[in-house]
Amino acid sequence: MKNEYIPQLSEIKEVIKHTDLEYTFRMAFDGEVKPGQFFEISIPKYGEAPISVSGIGDGLVDFTIRRVGKVTDEVFENYVGDKLFIRGPYGNGFDINNYKGNEIVIIGGGTGVSPMRGVIQHFAKNPTDAVSTTVIAGFKSPDDVLFKKDFEEWSKTINVIKTVDNAPEEYDGPTGMVTKYIPDLKFQDIKNAVFICVGPPIMIKFTIMEIQKLGVADEQIWTSYERKMCCGLGKCGHCKMDDKYVCLDGPVFNYTEAKELFD
Amino acid sequence: MGYKFSKEEMASIFSKLAEDYDVFAPVVKKGDGTFSDVDVVRYDKVSSLDEIEFEKKSDYSFKEALLPINETIFYFTEDETTVPKGPAKERLVFLRACDLNAVKRLDQIYLKNGFEDFYYKRTREMTKFVLMGCKESCTSGFCVSMGTNTTDEYDLYLKLDGDNAYVEAKDEKLAEAFKSGNEEAVSPDFVSENPTKVTLPKNITPETMKSELFKEYGNRCINCGRCNFVCPTCTCFTMQDIFYKDNEKNGERRRVWASCQVDGYTEIAGGHGFRSDNADRMRFKVMHKIHDFEKRFGYHMCVGCGRCDDVCPEYISYSNLVNRLGKECE
Amino acid sequence: MSLDINTKKAKKNAWRITKERGIGASRIRVPGGYCDAEVLGMVQEIAQTYGNGYVHLTTRQGFEIEGIHLEDMEEVNKKLQPIIEKVGINQNGEDKDKGYSASGTRNVSACIGNNVCPFANYNTSNLARRIDKEIFPNDLHFKVACTGCSNDCAKVRMHDFGIIGQTMPQYDPMRCVSCNACVKGCQSLSVGALRLENYKIVRDTEKCIGCGVCVTKCPTRAWTRSEKKYYKLTIMGRTGKKNPRLGKDWLIWADEDNIVKIIKNTYAFVEEYISPNAPARKEHIGYIIDRVGFEKFKEYALKDVELMPETIMNNTVYWDGIHFDNQH
Repeated sequence: MKNEYIPQLSEIKEVIKHTDLEYTFRMAFDGEVKPGQFFEISIPKYGEAPISVSGIGDGLVDFTIRRVGKVTDEVFENYVGDKLFIRGPYGNGFDINNYKGNEIVIIGGGTGVSPMRGVIQHFAKNPTDAVSTTVIAGFKSPDDVLFKKDFEEWSKTINVIKTVDNAPEEYDGPTGMVTKYIPDLKFQDIKNAVFICVGPPIMIKFTIMEIQKLGVADEQIWTSYERKMCCGLGKCGHCKMDDKYVCLDGPVFNYTEAKELFD
Repeated sequence: MGYKFSKEEMASIFSKLAEDYDVFAPVVKKGDGTFSDVDVVRYDKVSSLDEIEFEKKSDYSFKEALLPINETIFYFTEDETTVPKGPAKERLVFLRACDLNAVKRLDQIYLKNGFEDFYYKRTREMTKFVLMGCKESCTSGFCVSMGTNTTDEYDLYLKLDGDNAYVEAKDEKLAEAFKSGNEEAVSPDFVSENPTKVTLPKNITPETMKSELFKEYGNRCINCGRCNFVCPTCTCFTMQDIFYKDNEKNGERRRVWASCQVDGYTEIAGGHGFRSDNADRMRFKVMHKIHDFEKRFGYHMCVGCGRCDDVCPEYISYSNLVNRLGKECE
Repeated sequence: MSLDINTKKAKKNAWRITKERGIGASRIRVPGGYCDAEVLGMVQEIAQTYGNGYVHLTTRQGFEIEGIHLEDMEEVNKKLQPIIEKVGINQNGEDKDKGYSASGTRNVSACIGNNVCPFANYNTSNLARRIDKEIFPNDLHFKVACTGCSNDCAKVRMHDFGIIGQTMPQYDPMRCVSCNACVKGCQSLSVGALRLENYKIVRDTEKCIGCGVCVTKCPTRAWTRSEKKYYKLTIMGRTGKKNPRLGKDWLIWADEDNIVKIIKNTYAFVEEYISPNAPARKEHIGYIIDRVGFEKFKEYALKDVELMPETIMNNTVYWDGIHFDNQH
């Protein structure tokens, strides 16, 4: 019988620094992975933490990690060539087919962009898979922006609104919360729109309220939840919300389900 | 098949069984209770029949015989992991009907909710259950309300009555040990009524989640987690990595019982907690026991053993909370 | 006819001679302050039949039945007999129906202890009764009190001998869930002797006072009490006109038998060294020690005492307190 708790060693192939606090670790992994899934990553001297996949390559998987809490500090001291114990992938992830052929709006806050990066990448590379694709990404300040190069690349093929909450006076890009840009979105047919929204709990709450003002049905909205998880296997109980286990049934939920979930 | 023995004969058969099996049973731990000169009844390994407490309901449930409070998942070095060996012997666990019904709940989570749990499974497969009857109901239990007052999932039923002992052996291998007795029809003692009765709320809606009752009881809760730790159906754990002091690159990963009422249960890296309010924690626990689990698996989690009510230092009565919630939902 | 009463004798028979001429009060000590409620009815009857209907609950946990005519002493003494037996006063056989010999040694008082209190580490009233049996009747001025835990609700540090219940906390790491309840409890209610290290508790044995808070806070029985009961013995605390002071720790993690022995041994010390000028042979033991030295006291107190290996004894003890006596 397979022991799901046993991690495998994975080499750190590349480290990409986004900000002083956030890095992407490109790690070796062979196997099927979907955007929105997560791995349990063992951090030397600390323990395991669930970290969502921010990119998928050939024999590679990316993890974008914000240096918060005692768990994630240690990772930053590891360098290319070192190895970490990882296990996964876990969770359902995003199913690209749910969004194909639609007018897609992807709204992310901070590291919430990471789990959706694979989805954005798909539609940026294959813009004709959707009627339209718009990304609204919010960060605290220009210094906190993640995936800077990606945003440049993506804006060539899809609509990108990269906004910051606080900016110095000379900053010439969009500012304010992501919710500010929702009312102005234009749709050919609002019934054909889909929204994916990931970020801190409070951001998700207000974003969905704003989306609903557009007259969108719950089925058209998707989100992904970040909760404490100690196993990723439906055992430890920490991520349970109502009858759902975020690790097994999520972390991606259609809003018809998500709205029923209480912490 | 049922058999009758003298108590002495049973004691000697038991001693022999205890050589072949690791036997876990409720035991009176003298003076080990919360307060001075107060005993506690909890599970431990026993080797003789007279160590077993047949009368009092155990303060802590049997679950530690299947799910150790601390369990090493693996030992690690920088690049290797080693899984500790599982139980060497088969084990017998003495328990009552409510608890045997709880085993089904543990199985549900550890074997049938997504992945199979390697550690639980290897112990569970080595375990047989010995039913202890309940001649009279305990005062706090409400097994009848929960439909957990009876069971036929036992491998052995064992009853002491004065100088006599009775067994019913359903497990063939175990039955071998008792063939020397006088055959007699034996059937377990089950209670059919409890002094405590619980009527579960019907028509639970999102409004139910906002009930003032959770605030009321939450305000009284001190987040000690006793209700979870004594519960035979609570299965949560937290993972801990221990790094050896003399070689910090080596260590072990353990899983340790966790409580949804204790601080830190929902806290993620960075410090955000999803249920910082006690009312939310109270709701979370109660709803899991009488609603969420049932929604997912088709039957209720709570087996009505009443231990949580017995142990609460703040006299929070979960059973009364549920009854009051039931009335609110009418 | 004028009253002709031997007041010295009356006082040694637990009677108070009051301000009011001809009126006395009957004093009944209750060892450990714990008694059958039936006693209350008996006290009531005496108070209403012979006294003025009032009772004082004394500061040392006794009853003082007020307003009794001194000519009724003998009759009242007879009425006291069942009370004496019920509360467990160590009465001389020949004193039956004659009250009991009271003396300089004061009632052994106690907090409610582990009969009731969740914090107490032992049965204080049982120990008070045991000590009563060992040291009464005795005329020297000794004050002994028992308290269940380091909260010291019985204010034993105001006594010559204060007995504070301790437990040596027993920790089973395999039952510990790192919930931190003990660490928080020790920090907020006690001395902060616990910390979490590698998800398990480390107890600072130097700091730990054996109060048992960790045991009461533990939700999984990882912390339990030691099978053996331990006691801290504080010595030579006192109130008074000259130099009130708090008793200081002498023995920590001591056992009951040795403590009883030490208290008894101290009588010989006082007999030997009490000031010949002491009024009514009453001199506080602390003053005697001040005069003759702590080493001398130890020599007497520790006679035939073999302390357990885990018992910590402070070799020197110094007292401070407030000085009104102009002694330097």
